[in-house]
Amino acid sequence: MKVLMFTWEFPPLIAGGLGMACYGMVKAMLAQGIKVDLVLPTKEMVYFPLRKESDVDSLPVVFMDPVLQNDFSNRVFSDPVERLKYIGVSTSPESYHTIGDIKSFVSRVETEYLSHNDTNKEEYNLWQQITSNLEGDNDFILKVQEFTQRSERFAKELDYDLIHAHDWLTYPSGMLARKLSGKPLVVHIHATEFDRAGGPGNPQVHNIEHAGMTYADRVIAVSKYTAQMIVSRYKIDTAKVRIVHNAFTLEENRVFTRERLFKGPTILFLGRLTLQKGPDYYLDVAKMVLEKHPQATFIMAGTGDMARQLLRRSAKLGLKNRFLFTGFLNRQQVETILQASDIYMLPSVSEPFGISPLEAMAFGVTSIISKQSGVSEVVHNAYKVDYWDVQLMADTINNLIENPDKRITMGYRGMKEVNQIRWTEAADKIHKVYSEVLSQHTKSQE
Amino acid sequence: MLNIVFYFQVHQPFRLRHVNVLDIGKDLDLFDDKLNAEVMRKVAQKCYLPTNKLLLELIDKYEGKFKVAFSITGTAIEQFKLYSPETLESFKQLVRTGCVEMIGETYYHSLAALYDTNEFLDQVMMHRRLMMDEFGVHTTTFRNTELIYKDTIGDLVFEAGGFDTILTEGVDRILQWRSPLYAYKNYRKNLNMLLKYYKLSDDIAFRFSNRDWPDYPLTVDKFIHWIEQLTLAEQKERNLFLNLFMDYETFGEHQWAETGIFDFMRHFPDEVLKRPHLGFANPSQVRQWANYQQESLTFPEPVSWADEQRDISAWVENDMQKNAINTYYELFSKVKATHNEELICMARRLSTSDHFYYMCTKYFQDGDVHKYFSPYDSPDQAYIYYINALADLEERML
Repeated sequence: MKVLMFTWEFPPLIAGGLGMACYGMVKAMLAQGIKVDLVLPTKEMVYFPLRKESDVDSLPVVFMDPVLQNDFSNRVFSDPVERLKYIGVSTSPESYHTIGDIKSFVSRVETEYLSHNDTNKEEYNLWQQITSNLEGDNDFILKVQEFTQRSERFAKELDYDLIHAHDWLTYPSGMLARKLSGKPLVVHIHATEFDRAGGPGNPQVHNIEHAGMTYADRVIAVSKYTAQMIVSRYKIDTAKVRIVHNAFTLEENRVFTRERLFKGPTILFLGRLTLQKGPDYYLDVAKMVLEKHPQATFIMAGTGDMARQLLRRSAKLGLKNRFLFTGFLNRQQVETILQASDIYMLPSVSEPFGISPLEAMAFGVTSIISKQSGVSEVVHNAYKVDYWDVQLMADTINNLIENPDKRITMGYRGMKEVNQIRWTEAADKIHKVYSEVLSQHTKSQE
Repeated sequence: MLNIVFYFQVHQPFRLRHVNVLDIGKDLDLFDDKLNAEVMRKVAQKCYLPTNKLLLELIDKYEGKFKVAFSITGTAIEQFKLYSPETLESFKQLVRTGCVEMIGETYYHSLAALYDTNEFLDQVMMHRRLMMDEFGVHTTTFRNTELIYKDTIGDLVFEAGGFDTILTEGVDRILQWRSPLYAYKNYRKNLNMLLKYYKLSDDIAFRFSNRDWPDYPLTVDKFIHWIEQLTLAEQKERNLFLNLFMDYETFGEHQWAETGIFDFMRHFPDEVLKRPHLGFANPSQVRQWANYQQESLTFPEPVSWADEQRDISAWVENDMQKNAINTYYELFSKVKATHNEELICMARRLSTSDHFYYMCTKYFQDGDVHKYFSPYDSPDQAYIYYINALADLEERML
């Protein structure tokens, strides 16, 4: 079984949970013998043929242009980083084509691919929904246009049984590949625009999400929470939706040590400082807890559009030197901060899954997680609270500070539990989804 | 007779490193030694050394008729010793001429006068000892950090003992119809007061090279002409004091050598001393030259020489500044109680007013000045590093 997979993130090209989830899932899929041709927003026109487990780390590369491929294979790189730089693994693919090219692409989609007799009205409308919403000079939209334009070559020249696309940025590519190849499409919902925006969000993105899910043969949701949203907000047929919970990738030989920074109780928020993650609730909780336990330290780790507002408000609340901001943290620094924390808090307003608490739990950090999250469906040894219930969250933290034994026990149980959550299980489920669509596809071809 | 009183402020803070949360509890140096060394060496080259040389020449040339006063903070002296000992040596040379008065202030250029009375008195005494040790002089004139003054600060300075004169800003809302050219008394009439003539001071300090200023360029002739006009109003032969107070870094640093600031200063005394009714004086000479009953002035609220408002809003206005300074003084009293000299010294370096100035979010003209002086990208960054430093300091005590 061979999959053409489109995703926007994959380590070392990470911007958040999506990359880590793709990594864990693909690795487990490879272990089951599924082959993956991975397409990322790279600077050069390349794909990554992943065949065995270790390929997720070594990332073998193939250039679409044979001349460039020749250059590449004759080149000697001093280290993997240099090699990735050469391919242009960057979050802003600068070398993308001019907008003129893209305009012609949009019209070509209409004239070349949709004029076929086999295009029905419904399908035509979905494509209209994509092309009309992929307009604008917003940086992100331009990148998606470019990514979609490039997917045409991958779709035509690579050999695969089905297509798997992760989140809206790659849905137009997945749709185009399905249209060109006639192969089934699976779309994976890691987050919807409702989650990201913490409100209605961008209607362009909604439309692209809706078209992608409607066009797909199967829709994979990362949680029940997300599946419900897909059905209720996007009106997607329940029969098409499958739930596959994320897992947490435990790197082998990793040692989970504890190393304090603060002598007093240390509470951590780790995530983007944006409405979706509920950092403002965390601040309110800190205010309440510090009144009772002034020796506690609250750390706010991450950056985001609310950073300034949160900083100013923490000053206004007079939280002294007990509410600290770290700014952006790299992987190593994330580990350092987890090692130093006693309590982890995820007060997300809407969290499709939320992999970060699993990592915190792996470090034995006692976790308090929002009920409005997918992760709360899979873990038991964590405190689950409504994101708006500031009083309960504060009471829980106070209680844990006052009863360190209780906190340590919960942390230990959480650590053991997280070790049982493996990607293998997720890969099994995805495998089943693939088999379903393939057999359905074979039937329809007969 | 109009006496021109030049007083120059010499100050360098110990700037903080970009203290990260992850560094806390690791006993790392809180201060950015590299940056502090760089700034000190740069300012020494551009300002301190050439200006000291010029002043020395002028003092020599006019044989005691040209006088200036300095206030040099403890943090500046410490950094001279670390990074530019020749600068300290050249200041000592100036003091030895007898034409240079040294002025007392808080050792750490702090806002302790507003927050911690005992610490204020401690820092004043530390500075007085430093002036004696380094320059062999006993200070009798006082200036508080950034010329911040209110009645109760006058009381503290009097209580400290040995000071008979205090310098502050000639704020319009205090002076009203009065002129800053006369010597005044504080509200208890136990200290002489000299008030900065901010218009002419700032013409040199801020506007000298400003091409948008209608009076640009500022020539010695023009400046002397303005000064002469000031003397016309006085009909009773009372001695006037034109108090030109500014940062010493004005010369060569805020106003680069290319602006002609050094030429201005070189020729200015010539024109002054050509005129029998003009001269130079040091602040401590007020007591002998004030040939009239000095009116007393009341300062119910603090004034300063900063920004348009000339109040303390440059340091304690927004929430970040307030949280930072309140946290600092609460923590400092605990640090002091440890009697750990190393910790206390570290903590005192955090009391320097500049740390709070960097957190100022005022915009327009004043914001620009703040930005020019700040080693950080934004007030928010300055606040984050400062609060992290306080968290680290507290961990060191536990």
